[in-house]
Amino acid sequence: MHEELYKQMAQSIIDGEKETAIELAQKSIELGIPPLDAITNGFVVGVNYIGDLFGKGEAFLPELVMAGEAMKAAVAVLEPELLKLGEAREMMGRVVLATVEGDIHEIGKTLVGTMLSAAGFEVTDLGVDQPAEKIIGKALEINAQIIGLSALLTTTMVRQREVIEELDKEGLRPRIKVMVGGAPITREWAEKIKADGTSEDAVGAVQLAKKLVGKE
Amino acid sequence: MKFLKFLSAEEIQAMHEATLRVLHEVGVIWTHQTTLDILTDAGCTLKGNRVCFPPDLVMDCIARANKRPVIRGRNGQVNELGGGNLYFHNLGGARDVFEAQSGTRRIATQQDVVDAARLLDALPHCHTVTPFFTPRDVPGELMSLFMYRHTLPHTTKPVQGPGIQFAEEVQYAVEMAAVVGTPPHELTLSLSPVSPLTVHDHAAAAILAMARAGVICSNLPAPTGGATSPMTITGSLVQQSAETLSLLVLAQIVNPGCGVVYCGRLGMLEPRTGLIWGGVELGLASAATVQLGHFYGFSVNVYGFSTNAHTLDAQNAFERGLNAAIPALAGADELSGIGEMEAGVMGSYAQMTLDNELAGSILRLRRGLSADAEHLAVEVIQNVMDGTRNFLGQKHTMKHLRAGELALTKLAERNSWETWEGKLGRKQMADYAIAEAERILREHVVPPLEPQQEAELDRIMAAAERELVE
Repeated sequence: MHEELYKQMAQSIIDGEKETAIELAQKSIELGIPPLDAITNGFVVGVNYIGDLFGKGEAFLPELVMAGEAMKAAVAVLEPELLKLGEAREMMGRVVLATVEGDIHEIGKTLVGTMLSAAGFEVTDLGVDQPAEKIIGKALEINAQIIGLSALLTTTMVRQREVIEELDKEGLRPRIKVMVGGAPITREWAEKIKADGTSEDAVGAVQLAKKLVGKE
Repeated sequence: MKFLKFLSAEEIQAMHEATLRVLHEVGVIWTHQTTLDILTDAGCTLKGNRVCFPPDLVMDCIARANKRPVIRGRNGQVNELGGGNLYFHNLGGARDVFEAQSGTRRIATQQDVVDAARLLDALPHCHTVTPFFTPRDVPGELMSLFMYRHTLPHTTKPVQGPGIQFAEEVQYAVEMAAVVGTPPHELTLSLSPVSPLTVHDHAAAAILAMARAGVICSNLPAPTGGATSPMTITGSLVQQSAETLSLLVLAQIVNPGCGVVYCGRLGMLEPRTGLIWGGVELGLASAATVQLGHFYGFSVNVYGFSTNAHTLDAQNAFERGLNAAIPALAGADELSGIGEMEAGVMGSYAQMTLDNELAGSILRLRRGLSADAEHLAVEVIQNVMDGTRNFLGQKHTMKHLRAGELALTKLAERNSWETWEGKLGRKQMADYAIAEAERILREHVVPPLEPQQEAELDRIMAAAERELVE
């Protein structure tokens, strides 16, 4: 059933063709295909494929971004249908992302957000220059399982530790897990500040997030 | 010598016009009210959260700027930027230290900032010292200021200020510069706007403070081609130029005639890892930045030594050699990167001594060739043919050896196999570089500051700590 359409859906993601992905999502609604099937059997296959290639160094970062954007667009078309049916895509978890206070860089964080959304996480991106209390407040408000902290500068990466210390002080861990990332971030740093993990790239960040919510 | 040009006059003109269009039609995200008022009073217009710069204003500000600033060391050394010389300085702001002997890395501390300054002070082809490492044993808020504080006493060469982010840092850096005798207008400070085309409030306030203090703005736009600027190198250079000129306009309105160095730090995206590309396109981009900056009459500072390599290996040598030589031949006024590794994340003492030697070779390339009668040497050939039939005993030979026809190297291995394998124990250039770095750090003494100068620097840092650390 609909194998050809599913293949086209996956391919539209692999090619990063957002418009095609939207059209195929609409077509699947017209054909009465359950939206969850379209996501799982079609679009997700494409995202996983390009993610694997990237992991092997065989795909380019811009391809990954375009695939993530196409995935988000297709899911946006299908989501209202899911709601009508009273269904939901299996939600992997809720994540709050932010660049720490004093830092105003965000391209890496935005990319992680895109890939997490494509993988089925509900992502709230607070943007740049965010103080600890605001990040933690938002995480509590939406009942997030994960906080993702970004920093580009050596001078601001220390702020990641502040957020973690604040969470500890409030007794919010291990309920809320913390992922850290950014150009100066190493595994040693993540361990030192007692973060729950780090990744060098967005694909690894998705794997880490899945692990942290126990859905590997 | 004639400089290497990758772009024709028409192509440079097209890049100039494209830059003015980006500044005028696209604009720069800018929300800091005080500086926005200054810009709009001067004729800039607002388009949502972006400020658009009229071409005439941009050109007026470029005309006003001091494009040939001077920086001075406490040893009296004067670097006249834009005067035709090529000056080398080191990488600024590396996170890690590569220990070449063991092949390991470690996090940099304040001691590394001190040691790097002292080592660079001893290297003849390092003309300006920039605070090298980001020490992690000080609070983040004070990191840039500590970098400057620990560099000043440990070199007598001209010191370039650290990269800064906040207006408050400007004030303390200027105070510290005054302690060692460098007037504020000989202090350079660098700020990186966020690409693409974004000047955050902190950055705008810092530029305002720099301009008011008369500091030389050597701002460092650092777009990444393919991620935060176009994948095409010339497109990225247009955006980079718009970013740096937008800051220049503010500085020149506030303080007409203050000094500026036109800097480019365009990197390209490593598309498979998301990191910065260390390949030869970096040299190409730097060379084109030089050409575009010279079109406006600026002195130009670009990336020189640069590589993705993690050790002192073949990739390291070929990438940094090309990436430094190409912009040097294009006429760069300043090249950065002495000691750099891993695309600027890491630095090493052995790398600094290697780069000193590479810089010497590049300076030799820049000197080029002479074809006057003395160098064409017809009379010398005549003498030799009439006499001994070799040139070894000619005064002309020794004269030009001493005059630097060959830039003699110290670390490169140039012996026979027998000598190399026997007497020299198969040592390679990197082994000599490691030993040379160790020797300098053991032996080199930098004339200290006066005790009252040290006390004054401490006082300034204490004041900074009270204000900046929560």
